[in-house]
Amino acid sequence: MSDFIVTLNKKKRIIKIINEETVSIDNKIVSVDLSKVNDYLYLIKVGNKVYEITTTKLSNEKYSFLLDGHNFETTVRTNLKEKAVEYLRNKEKLTHRDEVTAPMPGLIVSLKKKKGDEVKIGESILILEAMKMENDLRSPATGIIKQVNFKEGDNVEKGAVILIIG
Amino acid sequence: MFKKILIANRGEIAVRIIKACRELGVISAAVYSEIDKNSLHVRAADEAYFIGSSSASESYLNCNKIVNLAKGINAEAIHPGYGFLSENYNFIKAVEEAGIKFIGPKYKSVILMGEKTAARKLMKENNVPIVPGTTEPITDIKEAKNICKEIGYPVMLKASAGGGGKGMHKINSEDEFQPAFEKAQRESKNAFGNSDVYIEKFIEDPKHIEVQILADSFGNTIHLFERECSIQRRHQKVIEEAPSTSVDEKTRAKLTEAAVNAAKACNYENAGTIEFLMDKNKNVYFLEMNTRLQVEHPVTESITGVDLVKEQIRIANGEKLSIKQNDLFIKGHALECRIYAEDVENNFAPSTGQIIHHRLPSGPGVRVDRGIDLKSEVSVYYDPILSKVITYGSNREEAIERMKRALGEYQIAGVITNIPACRWVLNQKEFLDGTFTINFVDNVFIPLLPDKWKTEATEDYETAASILAAMLQNKEHEFKAAKLDYNSSNKWNDISDE
Repeated sequence: MSDFIVTLNKKKRIIKIINEETVSIDNKIVSVDLSKVNDYLYLIKVGNKVYEITTTKLSNEKYSFLLDGHNFETTVRTNLKEKAVEYLRNKEKLTHRDEVTAPMPGLIVSLKKKKGDEVKIGESILILEAMKMENDLRSPATGIIKQVNFKEGDNVEKGAVILIIG
Repeated sequence: MFKKILIANRGEIAVRIIKACRELGVISAAVYSEIDKNSLHVRAADEAYFIGSSSASESYLNCNKIVNLAKGINAEAIHPGYGFLSENYNFIKAVEEAGIKFIGPKYKSVILMGEKTAARKLMKENNVPIVPGTTEPITDIKEAKNICKEIGYPVMLKASAGGGGKGMHKINSEDEFQPAFEKAQRESKNAFGNSDVYIEKFIEDPKHIEVQILADSFGNTIHLFERECSIQRRHQKVIEEAPSTSVDEKTRAKLTEAAVNAAKACNYENAGTIEFLMDKNKNVYFLEMNTRLQVEHPVTESITGVDLVKEQIRIANGEKLSIKQNDLFIKGHALECRIYAEDVENNFAPSTGQIIHHRLPSGPGVRVDRGIDLKSEVSVYYDPILSKVITYGSNREEAIERMKRALGEYQIAGVITNIPACRWVLNQKEFLDGTFTINFVDNVFIPLLPDKWKTEATEDYETAASILAAMLQNKEHEFKAAKLDYNSSNKWNDISDE
């Protein structure tokens, strides 16, 4: 039997997998029937209700689901992992550090700050051009720029750490 | 009829035009860039020609290459779709001079409508109501200030050569005039190489209403009623419908008459759209003319039964309009949702990737115009529009319910889409009662980001998604893959086992 904590829309649910056809959700036992239609589509019956869910795995613990036009991003961890993550999160708050990452691949059109500059939360830091549109990236925190990894004219991949605010 | 048409576009609109060609028995020739090698428009066409690297300026915007290709392959006409070269009069002129038929207006009509102040002047002279303001670029600041006082603040400064919000400034009072004027001039100069700006009264909370027209080369001009396109983000339309709930018979008569006048004023030929702003008192004002096919043309096709793309091709072929104004009626109601590859919660950032799963909605009253299929690449090079879901119903309520159903059925994996956000709009009071304006997304939706808008999903859905997540994560669990029953005599067996 395995225990998982699933976070969805900021709500946490405790799910225990009892066997292939039985799970408990927040200690309530329900019967389930899961079949895989293809790598990205699952059919799940909960009791007698049927759901067809489009599925994309985003990382080791994150899934994105599309169900009847609604999008659900979920994080699923074992009980132990969830506790470890919470511990780390509390610790991180003490040594504060924020990263500005590229939300999409694109071209850095303008970089308004350099190393050592002060920034305020919400202040525009750089313009990233992608798909003919200019996207204004704003500071997630107030602090001082500790590190700048790219310059104007550089192309960046999605997720690249452009600069670090400390 | 033409034997072969070159389609100088990509994505859903190229596919749409290819379908019209096939129905008319015309050979369709697609063009494609490097990254579009396997795109749906290439797969759908009769012939496909490589025209350059992925960057649009090297391929879909390369005027010379496209004209020379058309000559080389004996294409008798070019359909430009929307965007890219569709409203570029130099391109249209080059096509005309090469002896190839451009499926759209003459280049002179495009020039007349492309320059904003000249277009405003022409409209005023032809009884088309324009937004109060100037029809000449500002030369004297003192005089400009007097005009502003006369029409009343707030006013807008706009670039004569402009579009896309560049060089556009709102002025609330006289002391803001001078700095805003200088800034608008600078921006216009930088963006369009022309510093001319003009004044328009600022219309508070308007609706975007537009009228579809068709004109043949014999001087017959008809309208196909209005569309409402007020649900927009960053000046990009997202949800459109026909007819508009806010347009009564009297306003419709005013709008459509103005639209036909506008088209005649610039000797328009082929399909075009005249855009208007409509204020709370149902006053309508000419905004601009789009001298091409519009993205949202299917809603008009749905309520009138006219195939606009086939009509465009017939007009270009020198035929008379196949329909008369008196034959046209509004029947039922149609909606369109543009499905964009974008992350709504991340400032509408474009989402890129490969389409790894794609199942289309279907059933009564549902149409999908799409540019993607399984394995299509969604790249940073072009528009993020993936497809358009169009629903039709005997009335607006039915069209909306069908749209909700269709969006629920639509499955896409590989990129993030705006499907959930479209669904949200369809349930809002302002959308349902028709009071929404062009500021709806900015005023109502954006303040609810990132997650306050996600209140519609039921507990049941959340439970099912949570259980699925846990079960997928549970490594011990063996999935019962969908079992297909083959017997040994099944001739499809070999293929499906590959």
